Amino acid sequence: MRADGHAPGRPARDGQDTRDDQDTRDLLRRCARDVVDVAEDIRAVAERTGAALFAPPPVATGPRRRPRSALAARWALLRALTGKQGLGGPAIVAPKGMGQVLGALGREGLAALVAVTSLRLRIAAVLVDHPEFVRDPGMRRLMEAVTTDDDPEAARALRALFRDRGAQRALSGLAPVMAELFAVRALLHQDPAESGTARALAAGPELPAGPRATSAPGPAGPDRGEGSAEAVDLTDQEKQVIATEGSVLGFLRNIEALSAGGRVLVQNVRGPDGVVRYVVQAPGTAPGRPRDDCPQDFAAVWRNLFTTDSPHTRSVLLALRDHGIPRGADLALIGHGEGGVAVMNLAQDEEFCRTFRVTHVVAVGSPVAGRKPADPRTWVAGITNRHDVLSVRDGLGAGSAFGPHPNWYEVDYTGPAHEFPRCHMLHEYIEHLRTVVPEAREDVDEALTSYRGPIVRTQAYRLKDRANPPEGHPFLTVPTASLPTTAGPVDVPVRYYDSSAAHLCFPVDAGAAGSLLPAATWPAPGRLGRRALAVLSLYEHRCTTIGPHTEIALSVLVDDLWRPRRYDAVTDLLRRADLRRTGRFVVSAAVTGEEARAVAKEIWGRPAMRMTADADLMGREIGVRSPDLGLTVEGRLGPGVRCPEADWILYGRRGENTVRTLVRTHGRRRLHSGAGLRLRLETAAAEPFAGQLRRLGIDTARPLFVLNCPRFMARRGAGAVLPR
Amino acid sequence: MVTEIPRAAVCAAGEPPAHADTLRADADLMDDCARRLLGTAAMLTACPAAPRWSGPALARQAAACTTAARQLRAAAEALSPPTRAGA
Repeated sequence: MRADGHAPGRPARDGQDTRDDQDTRDLLRRCARDVVDVAEDIRAVAERTGAALFAPPPVATGPRRRPRSALAARWALLRALTGKQGLGGPAIVAPKGMGQVLGALGREGLAALVAVTSLRLRIAAVLVDHPEFVRDPGMRRLMEAVTTDDDPEAARALRALFRDRGAQRALSGLAPVMAELFAVRALLHQDPAESGTARALAAGPELPAGPRATSAPGPAGPDRGEGSAEAVDLTDQEKQVIATEGSVLGFLRNIEALSAGGRVLVQNVRGPDGVVRYVVQAPGTAPGRPRDDCPQDFAAVWRNLFTTDSPHTRSVLLALRDHGIPRGADLALIGHGEGGVAVMNLAQDEEFCRTFRVTHVVAVGSPVAGRKPADPRTWVAGITNRHDVLSVRDGLGAGSAFGPHPNWYEVDYTGPAHEFPRCHMLHEYIEHLRTVVPEAREDVDEALTSYRGPIVRTQAYRLKDRANPPEGHPFLTVPTASLPTTAGPVDVPVRYYDSSAAHLCFPVDAGAAGSLLPAATWPAPGRLGRRALAVLSLYEHRCTTIGPHTEIALSVLVDDLWRPRRYDAVTDLLRRADLRRTGRFVVSAAVTGEEARAVAKEIWGRPAMRMTADADLMGREIGVRSPDLGLTVEGRLGPGVRCPEADWILYGRRGENTVRTLVRTHGRRRLHSGAGLRLRLETAAAEPFAGQLRRLGIDTARPLFVLNCPRFMARRGAGAVLPR
Repeated sequence: MVTEIPRAAVCAAGEPPAHADTLRADADLMDDCARRLLGTAAMLTACPAAPRWSGPALARQAAACTTAARQLRAAAEALSPPTRAGA
């Protein structure tokens, strides 16, 4: 097993393997910390050298100065500071403008290169335990940037990645390597204060309490955006799930029910003594789901996580104010993931703890170890799964002596599921509290005795950030409607915030294409000459309103339903998508998520099935593998030309009717030759995909051309039912 | 007759060659950085599961630290007053 994690199919672990992996991981983490400390020292040396270089010359008190010696000294300093073999970078501390002049030398400083090495070691440490983390979108982009033998090139690629606004969401999910990411970013952007912030936030148990004190030090302060909270109704389905009696599992199930939608829940509980107390329940950000603010910068997102002065925490405060909780009331704060961090922020806020009496904090799967509440009487429970890579703070593991707090209850257990993100999911924690660590559940329930009673009022609040637009704004800021499916209610249009796609286009026999369409007079395959066009669409959806998933769809270009004309397919390209008559009829579809399957089948009328698949469609080397379908598509895209954005019309069949769905997309699209891509069928089975691909002759052909969108957003509407 | 005035005298009062001292201290710090990086490289080389690129990368960066130390000492010398023989 390589420490860089290139062993996704590794065999089952035995005890010896686990211990070896643990030793390797600990070694790599220790080395990463040591190396980042060296980077900090080098940065400080470069800063002082720069100060010496630009310091005013000493005042001459004798009869003669020695200008030549002074010049020689300056030259030696300049050489020490910018020498390629040494510190090798632009002067960090320089008068305005000079930094840019020296920076035009275009080299990365030694401190930045050493920090990049630390980051690479940290990545390797994470991947020892969690090789599946290499598939995380943020980790993939990061590894693309750093996996090169050339250190300066890695630094340059990282600099570009940090500037890429589209990468910020993905990078903000890289909690295990955040300290090193901050350090590298600070050194590449020449902002030493930010590096200090990172190390304090990521590793320090001594984060001071109170809103002013927890503001990030230095110029890189927290986002001063204005939070807001709006009381919203729960859906009928959610009302059925929301607990009516206070208990830790009940509260956690509430959080799970609310996890999609950026909401918190406040419940009034009548305790055994008849006193009404209040429970605040805060979910974290669901991976692969959109957030209500646009992650402008991963550093800001991470910094805001740990400050009470962030829009998110202010929004929670506004929700509590709106709820009308009286001063001095007893409050229990319960959260998962980022929600756990948010409630801990509140518990560390002195002013908040003067207004309310925070009696309990329960943080599940949250990196809160070592944080002390402002009120020493507050009982704090931290529940973490050792496999949960997002809940462990560097240097603080099981049983680590971070400083005794009398009312601290820590549960750090080893869950049965190892792989990420499953180990972080709240439903896994709920299940583990039932089956793996039931004694922990009993202890927490006992501590929450005063909150174990009937719920007398439940109110959900949607949290917003007025300063930052919602993710995907304005393209994805559209009215929505809720439609029922077997997987639960789904908001349509379904919105795709971060996706990649490759559409492989094959000229096929028109008769073969027609045989795949429903047995009716319509639709008929659109012809380009004597051939029809089949499209094998590969999608990697990293963030959508129906969760992250991979999608593979086979479709055939079809004619207008009522008045088919020759060359409609070509003339339609000049029309707006909503005015087009031709489209693609989806004959097969497979997705990796249950919600996506239900939506595809029940709303869009596609014959969708569940599958497992891995996809990487962000770069020039693309690949999709599905063992279930026996299908592999891989290869390298050659040079391409820009294309206008493509909106699609997709057809499906629901019952006796055809469903027409408009897909709006927004992203750069390129047209490539299909010569570099290969499709392989590794199954002799006829269904579901393989048989259709063989009938079309696609299994042995290369695509004529490929329409590739490495990053795009999309909206798929509800689908209109046509009379035919 | 020209009297050569020792460099120390041309510095402002109360400002010994502080930059020179700082540069020398930083040079020692850079040497220490090089030692730490080489130590880390040795630890990783001894671990069979460690990434193969780590040893050479750290060795390169340690060499850069040593070079930087030498250059800082040269800069410190350039900033220091020259010693007068037989003064």
